[in-house]
Amino acid sequence: MADSPYAIEMRGITKRFGRVVANRDISFAVRRGEIHALIGENGAGKTTLMNILFGLLQPDEGTVAVDGEPVHLRSPKDAIALGLGMVHQHFKLVPSLTAAENIFLGMEPLRAGLIDRDTAIAEVRAQSERFGLRVDPQAVVRHLSVGIEQRIEILKVLVRGARVIILDEPTAVLTPQERRELFGILRGFVADGMTVIFISHHLEEVMEVSDTTTVLRQGQTVDTRPTADLTKPELVQMMVGKQISFDRPARTGAAGAPVLEVSELWARDDRGLVAVRDASFTVCGQEIVGIAGVAGNGQTELAEALAGLRTPSHGTIRLNGVAVEGASPRTMRDTGLAHVPADRMSRGVDRDAPVRMNLLAGRHREAPWSRRGWLNGTAIADTARDLVRRFDIRTSGIDGPVRTLSGGNIQKTVVAREFSHTANLLLVDQPTRGVDIGAMSAIHEEILRRRAAGEAILLFSVQLDEILALSDRILVMFEGAIIGEVDPMATTEEEIGLLMAGVRPDGTASPARAGAA
Amino acid sequence: MRGVFLTAFEQGFALVLAIAIGCVIILAIGESPIVAFATLLDGAFGDPQRIAGTLLQSTPILISGMAACIAFRSGLFNIGVEGQLYMGGFAAALVGFSLDLPWMLHLPLALAAAVVGGAAWIAIPAYFRARYNANEVVSTILLNYVAVLLTSYFTIFLFKRPGGWSETPQIFESAMLPTLFEFSRLNYGFFIGLLLAVGLHLYFTRTSSGFESATMGSNRRFAEYAGVDIRKKIVRMMLASGAIGGLAGGVETLGVHHRFMEGFAPGFGFDGVIAALLANANPLLTVIAALFFGTLRSGSLLLEVDTAMSREIITVIQALIILCVSAQIRIGRRGDATAGERRWKF
Repeated sequence: MADSPYAIEMRGITKRFGRVVANRDISFAVRRGEIHALIGENGAGKTTLMNILFGLLQPDEGTVAVDGEPVHLRSPKDAIALGLGMVHQHFKLVPSLTAAENIFLGMEPLRAGLIDRDTAIAEVRAQSERFGLRVDPQAVVRHLSVGIEQRIEILKVLVRGARVIILDEPTAVLTPQERRELFGILRGFVADGMTVIFISHHLEEVMEVSDTTTVLRQGQTVDTRPTADLTKPELVQMMVGKQISFDRPARTGAAGAPVLEVSELWARDDRGLVAVRDASFTVCGQEIVGIAGVAGNGQTELAEALAGLRTPSHGTIRLNGVAVEGASPRTMRDTGLAHVPADRMSRGVDRDAPVRMNLLAGRHREAPWSRRGWLNGTAIADTARDLVRRFDIRTSGIDGPVRTLSGGNIQKTVVAREFSHTANLLLVDQPTRGVDIGAMSAIHEEILRRRAAGEAILLFSVQLDEILALSDRILVMFEGAIIGEVDPMATTEEEIGLLMAGVRPDGTASPARAGAA
Repeated sequence: MRGVFLTAFEQGFALVLAIAIGCVIILAIGESPIVAFATLLDGAFGDPQRIAGTLLQSTPILISGMAACIAFRSGLFNIGVEGQLYMGGFAAALVGFSLDLPWMLHLPLALAAAVVGGAAWIAIPAYFRARYNANEVVSTILLNYVAVLLTSYFTIFLFKRPGGWSETPQIFESAMLPTLFEFSRLNYGFFIGLLLAVGLHLYFTRTSSGFESATMGSNRRFAEYAGVDIRKKIVRMMLASGAIGGLAGGVETLGVHHRFMEGFAPGFGFDGVIAALLANANPLLTVIAALFFGTLRSGSLLLEVDTAMSREIITVIQALIILCVSAQIRIGRRGDATAGERRWKF
């Protein structure tokens, strides 16, 4: 049986959660030595399928075979023993430990009963060199970039002997350069005879890196085909079952009056280190300004300062002509701010509260939803139902807790709430992170609609294609400073990529970097 | 509603487990668990007088439980209800015996004094929490001891009844909470507790302010983002919690003892905190939990009279319950990334 061409064969997999069928009779076969992309909208069943493969969930029906041998995977331990490895979307590293310590956590090599650091470090070096996964084994994880953290996650899987590597949304947090390096590493795996399963939303990446593509939709397999035979519109068609337009309507007319004026703004992060240095910019009505940058270059702190969640250490913020630096979130909202936060689960929603209250929060003291301090259940339910319909939030009802929704629908809940405010500055932070293409398209349409309505939009995103597709102007942040502005119509991913890495167009390094050293 | 039932079921399971372990311990000391629990139930519900006694024991636990609910539901940890109860009890007694006013003024004023006493006592940790982000768990616990000793000092050295024990003079009749029956000291305080439970339930589920408080308890970052002034809200909810803790003491002095005595309310505040924890800070379920603790306390009196067992065995069972319930909260939280931030699910 070991001569089966398939590293993984899942047949007739069905998995139900209560009345919801997450996987319905899915068949998924991965040939040995290929990069196999698994794509589909959020809620299409990709994660469920992979959790079954990794032993985290048990299927209600169906069989799993590894290298042609039928197996019963009762836990991730079984999967790891069979040579499977999973790199999760959200990294699970211990920040205070070194790379090598994280990699060998739970399986530390021992010598005379003590942890043998030298062997661990040597093993990490060997594995990194073999596949070009450059990592300093003795670096403390807290100080490392997301790209390096991901490499550590991959190394963790490798030292556990994985021959089949599952990557869940691996590129969401990477710069274009890091992404290219990751793809090189994946090709190295395949050349070495390993197998890669690659879960993604990004069509370009799927087209670029994979040999075979399987598309899931609403818990079922749509098709498995060689990627070379597929076109982008075909893939979109398969994923959403309907045609989606990639054309972006251009802005009609020029930008309006200034809505947000930021001048010489400085802010510190939670550790007290300077995170935003001397940022000055303006956002006008009927304009989308994109802030590009590698995650962790001060975007979070800038967004928080603008939202009233962080007190700037210096500088001014004027919103609709009113000085608001250091004002409370309430004042910011009253002065005209709507905010889609980057961290939707911990900031954007109360996951245990019902959908209707999440849709209303922020206006819970205003009529007609509140009368003399008492919540008006009827008005709240009416508004919530209306928003659910207008923003096409897929939910079993407005009374269930938000945590039961899929990631894309939770984000639509946040967007529905914020975009229905009477605000004229929309602070939109990572609006489509981890969101499926249908929801992404809906959210993008909504952003463009608000621009057409004359509102000012400040868009933060680590996804460059999103910034390029939507923005009228792009500002690039590096180590807390805005180091350049580019015109999305005239720039290239490479130019922005260099700015994101701190290199000015004239080739000089940013002074901010010197200042930070 | 499903959440409420799930809570009730989980906590019920923990109770059964705790009682089962309690049975083993009773067997180990050579007594019969059946006799023990039969005596316990007889002591708590055997006749109308005993039932009234059970409700009487439950009252301070119930009101203390409401104080704890206010804090827990808002994501704050007032473990100092015991101390607020002592301060409130003393303040009520002070107004009760030192002023001579008509009933219409005197009783409300004495109750108000209890509320102010409790709120003033928690104002110290609340200030440090809001100003310096000092952990209120530690500060409220420590202030319990200060409150107990401070009220003792006041009682013995400043307001001691001549010739009496460590107690203040009796309060005027105009400040007493009326009793409900001839045969028991059970008084209107019990209804104050029930009203508070219903009121708090409505507050947290039906009002804008209560929505803000509960949201702050459930996800503080989201509440902040949605425009809640966290610092102000923390202070307000802590003061409210302390005020009700003080009221628990006031009801005990004005309704039961009619004076302030050293050690007049052993552990009622702590029992209230535990009742609220058992009920996951749901005010209505806290009523049930408080009645349960009241039953244990009242039944244990007969246990001591009728059997060779010490009533400390009830304390053991109570401790087992706390252990089982808190262990269970951990299990219910497993696999939840926010478990470290939020210690209870509401």
